[in-house]
Order: sequence, then C-alpha cells, then structure tokens
Amino acid sequence: MITPQAALELAQRAVSLTHADEAEALVIAEQSALTRFANNRINQNVAEDDVLLSVRAVIGQQVGVASTNRLDDESVAACCASAVESARIAPADPSFPGLPDYEPARDSMRAVEATRAFDETARAQAVGAIVAESASRGLTCAGKIRVSEQVIAVANSRGVQQMAALTGAQATVLSMGETGSGWASFLSRDASELDAAALGTEAADLAVRSADPTDLEPGVYPVVLGPDAVADIMDFLAYTGFSAKAFEEKRSFMSGRVGTQVFSPLVTIIDDAYSDTAIGATFDFEGAPKRQVPLVTEGIAFQPVTDSYWADKAGYQNTGHALPAPNPYGPMPMNLEMIEGENTLDELIGSIDRGVYVTRFHYVNVEDPVRVTLTGMTRDGTFLIENGKLTRPLKNLRFTQPIVEALHDCDGVTAERKFVGTEESASLVPALLLAHFNFTGQTS
Amino acid sequence: MRDLITAALEAALAAGATYADARVVDSSREELRYSTGRVEVVERTDSVGIGVRVLADGAWGFASTREVTDASAVETARRAAAIAKASALVAGAPVVLAPLEPATGTWAGPCEIDPFAVPLETKLALLEAADAAMREQPEVSITEAHFGCYRERKWFGSSEGAFTEQSFTETGAGIVAYAIDSDEVVTRSYPNSHGGGWKQAGWEYVESLDLLGHAPRVAEQAAQLLTAPLVDPGVVDLIIDGSQMSLQVHESIGHPTELDRVLGEEAAFAGTSWVRLEDVGSLTYGSEHVTVTADATVPGSLGSFGFDDDGVPAARDVIVDRGVLTGLLSSRDTAPALGRASNGCARADGYNRIPLVRMTTVSLEPGTWDFDDLVADTGEGLYIETNNSWSIDDKRLNFQFACEIGWTIENGELAKMVRTPNYTGITPKFWASCDAVCSKAHWDVWGLNNCGKGEPMQVAHVAHGAAPARFRGVQVGVGR
Repeated sequence: MITPQAALELAQRAVSLTHADEAEALVIAEQSALTRFANNRINQNVAEDDVLLSVRAVIGQQVGVASTNRLDDESVAACCASAVESARIAPADPSFPGLPDYEPARDSMRAVEATRAFDETARAQAVGAIVAESASRGLTCAGKIRVSEQVIAVANSRGVQQMAALTGAQATVLSMGETGSGWASFLSRDASELDAAALGTEAADLAVRSADPTDLEPGVYPVVLGPDAVADIMDFLAYTGFSAKAFEEKRSFMSGRVGTQVFSPLVTIIDDAYSDTAIGATFDFEGAPKRQVPLVTEGIAFQPVTDSYWADKAGYQNTGHALPAPNPYGPMPMNLEMIEGENTLDELIGSIDRGVYVTRFHYVNVEDPVRVTLTGMTRDGTFLIENGKLTRPLKNLRFTQPIVEALHDCDGVTAERKFVGTEESASLVPALLLAHFNFTGQTS
Repeated sequence: MRDLITAALEAALAAGATYADARVVDSSREELRYSTGRVEVVERTDSVGIGVRVLADGAWGFASTREVTDASAVETARRAAAIAKASALVAGAPVVLAPLEPATGTWAGPCEIDPFAVPLETKLALLEAADAAMREQPEVSITEAHFGCYRERKWFGSSEGAFTEQSFTETGAGIVAYAIDSDEVVTRSYPNSHGGGWKQAGWEYVESLDLLGHAPRVAEQAAQLLTAPLVDPGVVDLIIDGSQMSLQVHESIGHPTELDRVLGEEAAFAGTSWVRLEDVGSLTYGSEHVTVTADATVPGSLGSFGFDDDGVPAARDVIVDRGVLTGLLSSRDTAPALGRASNGCARADGYNRIPLVRMTTVSLEPGTWDFDDLVADTGEGLYIETNNSWSIDDKRLNFQFACEIGWTIENGELAKMVRTPNYTGITPKFWASCDAVCSKAHWDVWGLNNCGKGEPMQVAHVAHGAAPARFRGVQVGVGR
C-alpha cells in the first residue's frame, strides 16, 4: 500500500507536470477485501488493490480532467497532458472561481491497525460466528464483512497539500426463516469492534420475531422508523436537498426556505466529519478542510453544503464537501448526523395506539425531489403497534410519502443513535416517531 | 497477454487451485456534459488491471491488481488461492462448474466512426447547441446535454485451456430539460432518462439521435408539464412506451430470473426472487402475449459479446415462452442447480470484480399491434412515456414506477397531458394483464449502463428490446 507521503508526492509531481494556469491532482489508493456469505456459507471472497490519479487542469476558466491507474512516468505525464488538452478545447466557464487555496486539515490520519490486520482468515472466522447464530435456529443467513484501507492525497498549484490514511470495517447480516427475516449492521473505522456473534444474534432474533407476518390495510399510520430506515431518509435528503447545487437550482426543499420552519423543532441535522464515529477524510476531494455544517437546526433550514465552485456561486463559505472533479452532482454531505432526542425507543412505541414499526427500507427512490417524495418497501422486521406495544409482524409494505411533510410532523426522537452506511458515506441517526406515514400497498 | 495470463493460472494451480481463470481488462472512457450554458464535464479516464479467480478446496477466491506484470499476476493468483482456502473454512457443498468446451477466439463489437477520434470540438459543439436550443423555452431553467464513450479490451484465459480476446466500443448521448417553479420540478429527457441512449456503436449512433432536432420538443414538453395535472388516482388500462417497458422488463423479469438470486446468493443486498427453481417449465409468468428472450448476440446491443466472463460463447435463450417460465439467466457455477449448461450470463464490471449472473439483452418479443391501432382499440385509458423513478421489493414482486409524461386516452385517441404519472403492481398479476404488444416496427433495443448489483458494487451494461404494450386494470396515481 502506498504511504500517505508517497501519495502526496505523486500528486505534487502530477501538478508540476501539468502545464496549465492552475493544476490539481487527487490520488486515491485503496486496498480492500470483502467476504460475502449466503445460504450459511461463504459464497464470494474478493480483494483488490488499486490507485487512481486524477488531474484537473485549468487554463483561464477552461477546465479539463483526466485520470488513470497507470503510474509509470510516461503514463502519469500522458494523463497530465490529456487534462491540459481537454482544458484547451473546453469552452470557458465564466463562473469558475479558480482552485481553492490551502488551509490545513486536522485529524486526517485515522487508519486503525486492527482493521488492516483483519485478513481473510479473520473474516472467515467472523462469518462462522455470525452464521452459527442463524444455523442453530434453523435459519438461513447472508451478508458481508468488508475491510478497507484508503490513502488520499490532494495537491494543487495554489499550495494545497493534504493527505489522509483511513480504514473502514463494515458488516451486514440478513437472517431468514420461512416467512420472516431480520437485519443487523455494523460500521466502524476499527474492525476489532466487530462482535460477530452479537451481530448474528441480533439478526436471528429479529427473524424469529418477524415470522408469520400478517396483513395490514394500506393507509396513513403513525410510524416509528428504526435507525436503518432513518439513514435511508438521510441519504435522500442529502441527494435531493443538502447540496448547494440543488439549492441554487431551486430543486431542493430548502430553496427559498432558509430561516423557515421546514421540519419539526425536534429535528436537527448537521454534517460533521470530526465526530467520534465519523468515517472518511476530514478534507474534501479539492483538499478543502471539511467544516461542521448545521443544515437544519431545530427544524429551521439553515444552509446547504458547498464546494469551491458552488460556495462562490451561492455566496456561502466553502464548507469542504466537493466530490472528485469533474462533479456534475454538486457538493455532498458524507458525515450526516441527526442530533439525538430525549426518548427511548420504548417510549416512542408506547405513545402509539395503532401504528407501524419499520426496521429498514428496501429500494427507495425519489418521485418528487422538492417534497422529497419517496417510494420504497419495508423489509426485515415490520411490526404492528397496538396500544403502545409491538403486537404482530406485518408483511412488507410499500410507502409513498413526502418526507418533508413527514419530518414536519416528527413527534419523537430517541437519545440512542446508530452509525449506519458505508465507508464512503454514513449517517449517525436515532429512531423517529412520525405522526403520519402513507403506506400505499402491501405484498401479499 | 497470453504469457501473463498463463503465469497467473500456473501460479494458481501451484497454490492448490482446482480451477482458475484470469482476466486482463484495459479500458478508456470519455465523458462530456453541458448544463445550462456551461461545460460541466470534460473528462478522459483510463484503467488497466488483472483479476484472478480461483477454486480451491471447493470454494471461490478472487484477487485483483492494477499492476499488469508477470510478478504481480503470480502474486495476485497466490493471494486468490489463499482467499479461496479461507472461504472453505465456512463452506457448503463444493462449487461445481457446468461443463464447457474451452473457448478460443476473438470478438469485436460494431463501431463505424471511432468516437474517441472525433474531435473534442465537434462533440462539445453539438452538446452546446442542443443545450442552448432547450433554453429557448423560457419555463425551462436547467438543461443538460451529455455524451460518453467507452472502450474496453479484454483478455480471458482459464486453467481448462480457454483463451479469448474481445473489444467493445460503447457510445451514448442524451438531453434533459427541467422546468421548475416554486414547488415543482418536472423533467423531460431524450432519447431516454438516466443517461440517455447507449449502443455498442461509434459516433454514428450520436448522429442518428439528432439531439438538436429533438431539443425544442423536449423543452416544450417540459414547459407544458409544469401546468399539466397529475393523473387521477384509480385503475386504468395502461399503454407503456418502449423505453419504460425496457425498465419494466429489466426490474420485474430480468432480475427475478437471475439464477443466483433464485438460489439466494444475493439475498442480503439485491434480494432474492419470487421465482423458485422448481418453477422452471411450469410457472405462468404472464399472459400468452409475453415471450422474453435473453440474447447476447443482438448486434449493437450493450448486452452483446462474443464470450461471457466464464468463457461461455454468446447465446440466445428463451426465458418466458408465451407466458410460461422456461429458463433462467445462469453462469457456470449456478447452472448445475438447474441441471443445464450455462446460458452465458456471467459478466464482471472490470478487472477488479468477479463475474455475477447479469442480464444480456433481455427482451419482450414484439407482438403484432400498430401503436395507433392499440390506442384506438383501448378507447379510454392512459399512455405513459420515459421512466422518472423506479422501486421494487427484494423478491421483485411489488413494484412502483413513475414516468416523466403521460396522456389520457379518450375516445381512442391521446388526449390530455399528465405529469409524472406513476403506477404500481404485483409482478405475475401485472404480466398476466398484458393483452397486447406492438409490432417489430415499434420495437427498439434500449441500452442501460447503470444496472447495479453485488458487493462490492458492480455496474453492468445491459439492454432490453421492447415495444409499447398494453396492460389491463393497472393502479395509477399512487400516493398523490
């Protein structure tokens, strides 16, 4: 694995080889391995080793990008020349503000040795512990354990020089019986925190509890969403609403509504790359340090995240949320948090006379970006709530729900939160009580 | 490359493999994108690497590296063997591969005008003009015009003696207009949403699309959609255009008939299938009008190749024959469960991914109807075009799609425009309600280059032949 210093030197060499007015080079090196299991056995087991060099050349306000994973001298020079050639031909973008200036980032060395050392034998042993919890109850389980080590370096001709060493460990477990299923997930920088048997038990217990599901007439019900379901909602808020590009193009639910009450006062959402659990780099792919950004404060829309381009265009500070150039999607928050509330999960469930508990969603998609109207299915543990208790499992339900409206009517937030997602993008989220949620169909 | 691949295979066998294959993939990509008057993307990328897949102790292992040297190929093969042996620590029945005569040969996809050789200025000028033409419509505030091309050379060898070399050139382009007011965003795309149209072809495909000619119509429809009503909730007779039919086939026939999903191998991520192994040969999947093929030999389709990534020669197989399930998409390591040879659907997304069961060109075969006759015959109903969003459950039973645009059908004619009409259904009930498919004259092959599956994620380039088709009694206007 290339060292952070070597990655930075490669980036700086590429900048020096890029004969343009301005130049930027991004190096992303990754060694990762993923052990997949299904039908209570390991079915796929892979490892990869790659390095990406991406070069952005700027001539006036003309921009070109080239990238390669060939790192011999000739190929690196060719990549730099290709970026310059593209920039020469690309029409000028009058809004292009230039590359960002250097500002140091902190806490960028986050690699954990235990994750690096979590090899194929350790992963197989962990899978064995997970599988045993399902197999012993006559259940079938599937899932994955992934470990990765990443080195990121960014340099540009204005003096940016950032490097990071990162690790990530992820596990998911789906346990299935004849009629029910359960889910459990784990995400951390540190693979040694994985308690494989406990994860296997959590999924298997839920599979047993969700057996023999029953029907529920579609309609509008109060709902308690577990953290995995809330994380899905956060992903779509990020995708449709929290980017300064969507905001400026008036495609975001926050467009024109900054300073107004968009959600319940119980809902506060930030992006924070520096929290104890946060995973990934503390600078963005332009090398700008990530700032902690209040996106929605006590239900009031505050601001979107930016990169250098959209900060300049929107008149906000650069919050350090650029994706790799060229980036047609705009800036994106990668470390979302919903701030904890004061309730326990039992209190949220206990406050409902008749409603639905959702463990997680499946295959969610956007039907209307402005209201963030989402449709998707429930999966792996959907329960009817009656008189403040989970009474019986339900067959999977389809929902079609404007999420802005649902979060406006949020009546409870748990104090306990869970870290959900992938090494690239994850959320720290509580469970939520939403007063109205529109279930529009059921699979019988 | 033969020597490099041979070195990897010999190293794998020496490390205890009972079977090994190795793929070297060398790829290049160019992406150009204009948005609302500014050039947003001018990017060229290239990538190379080798992946080695090994069966040892009855279990799979795979490793890959970007270093394409004899030494790294050998080291990667040894690593793959070590991973396979670790897999065997939590193994079920040993992996069995369907028998195969080792393939040798070369294959190249069609390409008349090399899209990489067309001057950047020419390509950018077309996008700039198409982008500008859409912005003539005042209600349209965001526009996009995009072009992409992809080239791949792939060498494959196996320890059974296979050695193949293939090359692919894919080209795509499209335009999108967004009209936005205070609380509404509507989208209109051409020739398709989610990335435009894609073929295995060269620049000639982009020329055939006539982006500039379609731009005014696309923008005008986007503007009209802003004030168009939503579809009234209810149950209607629905005619679905070819592009949306291609996605309907993809999600509710293509994925559920992937044999790895049927066997539970994808349960934790993509999901399983409502189809069971024992259903093959007897399950009524749809009406007599529903015949579906999986065909890797369709000229110019993203789903075509000479050999799949197991080394199986390209084939055509009937998956649904006049409504009855007759086959499944398979690979060498899944086909034995069906008691058949692989029908050649093992495909990997690059050198650093393993082959999975993927779609090729999975098509709803054409019927006999002329489109105008079908609308006239429908009398009262709804016609919809171009996907806007999609969602389907983990067994591929309960789906909901929204489209960009629709028109009510009144007195046998297209009448009132409706915006973002959605519909929902249950897979076998929905396909059973299909009572008409338009003829070959209305049938086209739609390329999709964004089919996600697997962990680590793989994005496959697949395609679907489809023509407009009619479905009786479909629920529309859901949750509106």
